[in-house]
Amino acid sequence: MDTEAALQTVEQLLKEYATEVKQPEQNRLDFSISVENLLEAIKTLKANQWGYLSFITGLDHPAPLTAEGEAPTEGNLEVLYHFAQGAAVATLRISLPYSKAEVPSVCGLIPSASLYERELMEMFGVNVVGTPDPRRLLLPDDWPEGVYPLRKSYQMVGGAAEPPVET
Amino acid sequence: MNTAWILLSLLIFPGGLFLLGSGLVYEWVDRKLVARFQNRIGPRWFQPLADVVKLLAKEEIIPQEVHRGLFLLLPVLALAGALTAALYVPLIGFKPSFSFPGDLIVTLYLLSMMSLCMGLAGANTVDRFSLVGATRTLTQLFSYEAPFLLALLGPAIVTGSWQISQINAQAGNSLWFIITQPIGFVVALVGLMGKLELPPFDAPEAETEIVSGALTEYSGRGLALFRIGKDVELVIGLTLVAAFYLGGLANPIEFLLKTMGLLVVMAGLQSLFARLRIDQTVGLWWRVGALLALAQLLVLILLRG
Amino acid sequence: MEKQDSNGKFIVPIGPQHPALKEPGHFEFAVEGEIVTGAAVRLGYVHRGIEKGAEARNWTQNIYLLERVCGICSHIHATAYTLGVEKLANVVAPPRAQAIRTLVAELERIHSHLLWLGVAAHEGGFDTLFMFSWRDRETVMDLLEMITGNRVHYSTNILGGVKIDLDDEKITAIRKGLDFLEERTHHYLKVINTDETFLGRTRDVGTMSRQQAEELGAVGPTARASGVPRDLRVEAPYAGYHEFPVRLITATEGDLHARFVVRMNECLDCYRVIREILDRLPGGELATRVPRRIPEGETISRVEAPRGELVYFIKSTGGDKPDRIKVRTPSLCNWGTVTSVAVGHKLADMPMLLAGIDPCFSCNDRMVRVNRPDQSQTWSWENLRQYGIEYYR
Repeated sequence: MDTEAALQTVEQLLKEYATEVKQPEQNRLDFSISVENLLEAIKTLKANQWGYLSFITGLDHPAPLTAEGEAPTEGNLEVLYHFAQGAAVATLRISLPYSKAEVPSVCGLIPSASLYERELMEMFGVNVVGTPDPRRLLLPDDWPEGVYPLRKSYQMVGGAAEPPVET
Repeated sequence: MNTAWILLSLLIFPGGLFLLGSGLVYEWVDRKLVARFQNRIGPRWFQPLADVVKLLAKEEIIPQEVHRGLFLLLPVLALAGALTAALYVPLIGFKPSFSFPGDLIVTLYLLSMMSLCMGLAGANTVDRFSLVGATRTLTQLFSYEAPFLLALLGPAIVTGSWQISQINAQAGNSLWFIITQPIGFVVALVGLMGKLELPPFDAPEAETEIVSGALTEYSGRGLALFRIGKDVELVIGLTLVAAFYLGGLANPIEFLLKTMGLLVVMAGLQSLFARLRIDQTVGLWWRVGALLALAQLLVLILLRG
Repeated sequence: MEKQDSNGKFIVPIGPQHPALKEPGHFEFAVEGEIVTGAAVRLGYVHRGIEKGAEARNWTQNIYLLERVCGICSHIHATAYTLGVEKLANVVAPPRAQAIRTLVAELERIHSHLLWLGVAAHEGGFDTLFMFSWRDRETVMDLLEMITGNRVHYSTNILGGVKIDLDDEKITAIRKGLDFLEERTHHYLKVINTDETFLGRTRDVGTMSRQQAEELGAVGPTARASGVPRDLRVEAPYAGYHEFPVRLITATEGDLHARFVVRMNECLDCYRVIREILDRLPGGELATRVPRRIPEGETISRVEAPRGELVYFIKSTGGDKPDRIKVRTPSLCNWGTVTSVAVGHKLADMPMLLAGIDPCFSCNDRMVRVNRPDQSQTWSWENLRQYGIEYYR
């Protein structure tokens, strides 16, 4: 399928769920969607056989440093589901506040997502609700609970693991 | 036959020490040949001896939850079985040290001790790999044993004797049995490979699946004994097949040429094939090996009768 | 040692240390007799925290860090990264650089496939094929050493181009090497297609239908052996694949044998592509300038590694270091296929089934953590470097 055509199709399919659609690159479309719509959007993609789940990326946006006296804002996490069809990539972006870092598992629709979800859970501390195998995948068994290495608050320094500063 | 002679033949020559030494030499030839066939350099001549010395010098670890006595006894028993079997075969082309009518059957049983001991050794430990390995060893034992026996019965029936020394002598006087009974020869040779768990019949000790099979928990002395036992069995097996099918063994030169010739063929077979799964091994022996051997036996009996 | 788990199943553990695995990984196979009834995977034994480490290094240093994600397909990682960064910086590497990148990538693919052929044959107990294919792999390793100076981490890429060039002498040597390899590859194809014992271990083992492969998200030769036409070099050409197109090679059987055939045929196509590159090697510069700070933005760089689709997600905030680099390696996608396909097969088929996807553990595991009896701690790179220096002193 032609890349442009593929992108047009996916835009038609996902427009109703998205709060914002962006085209960061020629072969890509980003759809910002809310958590509630995630499963519906993926169901639509699957029903129309558009692409496959290529990978899931986690991003950490810590709260910006606040000037004295200002109320601190809450940082957030972002979970990106990348679907690929040929050269075209459609990304579903979900933004989550630290206080409610929860996404539903997509394994019911895409069984292969299990490994990505396990990685997301231990690296970013995103609670993936209903994932079939919530055990650790990469981190050691004695890794402290609540320490998520890929969050920006985690610093690699000499000595023991520094727990992240919770906001 | 005086006592000194018996002791000599048991402990030094042709049984005992000499047999252990020749076992190591044959192991080296086998390893070297396979290596050359696979385009490798292969071990130096003293490597099998060095392996054994190293193993003997090492600590023997007895795992938890095994029957201690059995664990220590089995390797000894396996080696003893193989060494005893040597007394009835025409090693180095000499007359067997001992001989009585029907010693063929006894020898074959003694040779099976090895597989049986290895199976028990595996089942004795609680290690998963050993257990799977033991199951496979015993399964394999049941699959090659009957065809192997049938294959060796061919020459016995033709010569009308169950005594190895007599079959050996008769085989030297008549046309080589490999020509008159080619199927029996192939089955016997391949059966020997199955007995020794050489590739492609190495499913019981397939290292990529079950580490080292039944012997996974063995170390040091026990492992060394099992290994020597296998080498000894290799020599005896080759001697038997050569004596039966390659026109008998009458002198040391004949012995050396014939057994080494067989070893070259075996090394070639080892490097030619991918490992057979245990179900494929059993299938091969019962569907092909046993049937062919039986068919040939029938023909022989009919022709004789 | 526990023989049974709470459900009364007999579990055979493979790994983290096991002769079948050349790298550490842990698999648990529940078996009944010889038949596998369940499979689970645990990774991370060689996790090095490369994604975190990349955030602390500048754009140039990261090339060398990311190249070390994998020792077999090192070049392709650096290529995916540099292509991504170049895209963010709005720079295009000159044609000669792209052609050389492609050339090294294809040589790497040959080396990887021959290595895999040997490992897979060894898992099946066919050591002769193992020894022969690894002997022939030396030819391509020597070529890579001649071109780049290294046998493993080629360090061919720099931001904006490559740092090595080809001359006539090298081109002649590559051609000679390819002729030898092509002849050998035809021979191996014949062996895997005709050797009865080998066919007995590969045909109808681990069969995965096209639908299954698509559902489980298989990539690379594993997917192509099941008839899924998925090859980024064809679908979304990058680097020099516009000028030097490759053929999409698929098979329909989906079993282990098909994976052997697909990989060997891919090697044959590699030889063709490399010859074409050598015939029409574009002239000109080897590299263009890339700014030290990369403009703000996000990009996804997808390339076809020897094992399948390799994806880099690169995010820049306009500084001299990346904000986030996400690496998704092909082996991770393919694990899912093993754990689901394994059920119902014989234990003896497991090593070959594992090897069948050409797993690369380093690719999956990317934090340094050293466990010692007295303490358990996370080590920084500096600690580790110091430890290493003192250890060997």
